Amino acid sequence: MSALLRARELRKSFGGVRAVQGVSLEVPQGAIFAVIGPNGAGKSTLLNLLSGVYQPDSGALDFDGRSLAKLPAHRRVRLGIARTFQKIRLFKQLSVLENVLAGFHIHHDTPFWKYVVLGATGRFHDEARELLEFVGLGARAAERAGALSYGQQRMLEIARSLATRPRLFMLDEPAAGLNAAEVDFLLERLERIGARGTTLIVVEHNMDLVMNVAQRVFVMDYGEPLFEGTPREVQSNSRVVSAYLGGEFA
Amino acid sequence: MLAALPWVLHTPYWRGILVVCAMNVMLALSLNLVLGYTGQLNLGQSAFFGIGAYVSTILVKTYHWNFWLAALAAMGAAGLLGLALAAFAVRLRGHYLAIASLGFAVITYQVLLNWESVTEGVRGIYGILPPRGFGSTVALFYLVAGLAFLVYLVLGNLVRSPVGETLRSIREDEVSAASIGINPARWKAFAFGVGAMIGGLAGCFYPGFVGTLVPDAFNIVESFTMMAMVIVGGMGTMIGPVIGTIVLTFLPELLRGFGELRLMIYGLALTLVVLFMPGGIVQAWNALRARLA
Repeated sequence: MSALLRARELRKSFGGVRAVQGVSLEVPQGAIFAVIGPNGAGKSTLLNLLSGVYQPDSGALDFDGRSLAKLPAHRRVRLGIARTFQKIRLFKQLSVLENVLAGFHIHHDTPFWKYVVLGATGRFHDEARELLEFVGLGARAAERAGALSYGQQRMLEIARSLATRPRLFMLDEPAAGLNAAEVDFLLERLERIGARGTTLIVVEHNMDLVMNVAQRVFVMDYGEPLFEGTPREVQSNSRVVSAYLGGEFA
Repeated sequence: MLAALPWVLHTPYWRGILVVCAMNVMLALSLNLVLGYTGQLNLGQSAFFGIGAYVSTILVKTYHWNFWLAALAAMGAAGLLGLALAAFAVRLRGHYLAIASLGFAVITYQVLLNWESVTEGVRGIYGILPPRGFGSTVALFYLVAGLAFLVYLVLGNLVRSPVGETLRSIREDEVSAASIGINPARWKAFAFGVGAMIGGLAGCFYPGFVGTLVPDAFNIVESFTMMAMVIVGGMGTMIGPVIGTIVLTFLPELLRGFGELRLMIYGLALTLVVLFMPGGIVQAWNALRARLA
C-alpha cells in the first residue's frame, strides 16, 4: 500500500509549550489509522496540523504526493481531507438536514444566476437524506441540530463531513461521551466507511475502538512519537504501557 | 395591496412616509444579509447609503449622466467600499468588527462633510430632481417599492439556495465552516459587497425625494436605526426586517401626538423588544402560533 498522507518532522509550539515536536508518519491508502496517547500528548494539535487549522512551525506534509504547505483548511477539503472536532462544532441553529446540505459546499456547480432567479436549486437533498439514514438520523432531519442528544450530534458531525466526499477522513475522539450502544454503532459505521475505500485517521481514547477497528496504531506522548505498530504490537509494548499506566507497571 | 397604499394613505405627508418606508425596507434587507444571515456585526451600513446618494447625485448634477447609469455606478462604488470593509471583517469578529465598521461610517461621514469641492459639505447640494418620469410622490413610491420588492425576491432566492447555508454556516461557526471547504473570507466579502450595493441602491432615491443632499442624512445614527429595524422584526429571516421597518417607520409618526414623549416611548418599545423577544416580531409570532395550535 502506498502512503496517502505523509508527514515529516512536524513541529508546533504555542508560546513555550512544544505541543508537537518532530512527528513523522505515513498513513497508508485505505487504512484505518489510530492515533493514541495520554491527555496532552499532542494528538489534537497533530490533527489540527494535518487538517490545516494550524500551520506547522516546521516540517513537511503531503497528501497524495502533493505538498500541503501553507494550504488553509478550506482548500484541503477540496483535495479530499475532512475532519470532525473533539469538541463538537455543529451549526446549532440550523436544522439537521441543513447541516448536511452545507457539507456539500464544494460540490455545488450550479451557475450563480440560477440561485438568484430560481432560489432553491441544484441541491443534494437525496444524498443528504442518505447520509442522515447512514448515521441513524433519518427521522430527525427537520429538527434543530442543537436539540439533538450528544451522541446524535457526534453522528451528525460525521454525516456533515462525509458530505464533502473525503478520501481521508480524520476523527478527533469520536467515541468521547458516547454510551456503549452508541460506541458499537459508531464502530460499525467507521468500518463501513473504511470498507468503501476512505482512509481514516482516528484520534481516540476508547481502546475497544482502537484495538478492534484500527490496522495501524500511532502512539504519542509529550508531543513526540512513542511507538507505531499493529494493535497487538502496541498492547505488548512496554513503553506504551508505562506511558499510560505509569512507570511502575512497566 | 402595495399598489393601493398611496390611495389609503393619500395625504402628501403620508405618501412621503411611504417612500421613506420603501427605502428603509431596502436598507434593512441589505443589512440583514450581513448581520442576520452571515452574523457579522456591521455598524457601517449608513456609509453605503450615503455613498449611493452622493455618487449618483454628483454624476447626474455635475457630469450630466443618465440617472440609471449613475445609479449603476453608485451601486458599484458602494459595492467596492463594501469589499474594503470586508477586509476588516476577515480579521475582526464581534465587538471588534462593530467598532471597526462604526469607524468606517464615521470616516465616510467626515469625508462627505469635508471634501467640499466635490460634496459641497454642510452647504449641501440643492435642487435635486427625482429620476425622470417619477416626479410625483406616488410614482416614486411605486418605483422604490417595486425595487424593494425585487431586492426581497432576489435575496430571498439567494438565502434559499445553497448560498444561504454557506452564509449561515459562517454565522454559526467559522472554523467549522472551513472544515467543510467554505472560505469564510470570500463569503464574508460576498455578503458585505452585496449588502453595500443594495444600500447604495437605496441611497440613489433619497436625494431626488428630499430635493437636497447634506451629510447629516448619513450620520452613523442611521446605522443604528437600520439595525433596530432588523432586530425588532427578526434578523436572519426574510420577512422580519420588512415588518421591523414598517413598524419602526410608522410608529414614530403615530406617536407624534405625544410630542417630546414620543422618543421615550420609542426607546422604551425598543428596549422591551430586545429584552422579551430577542428573535423579534417574527419569533414572537411563531411562539404565539405554537401556543395556540
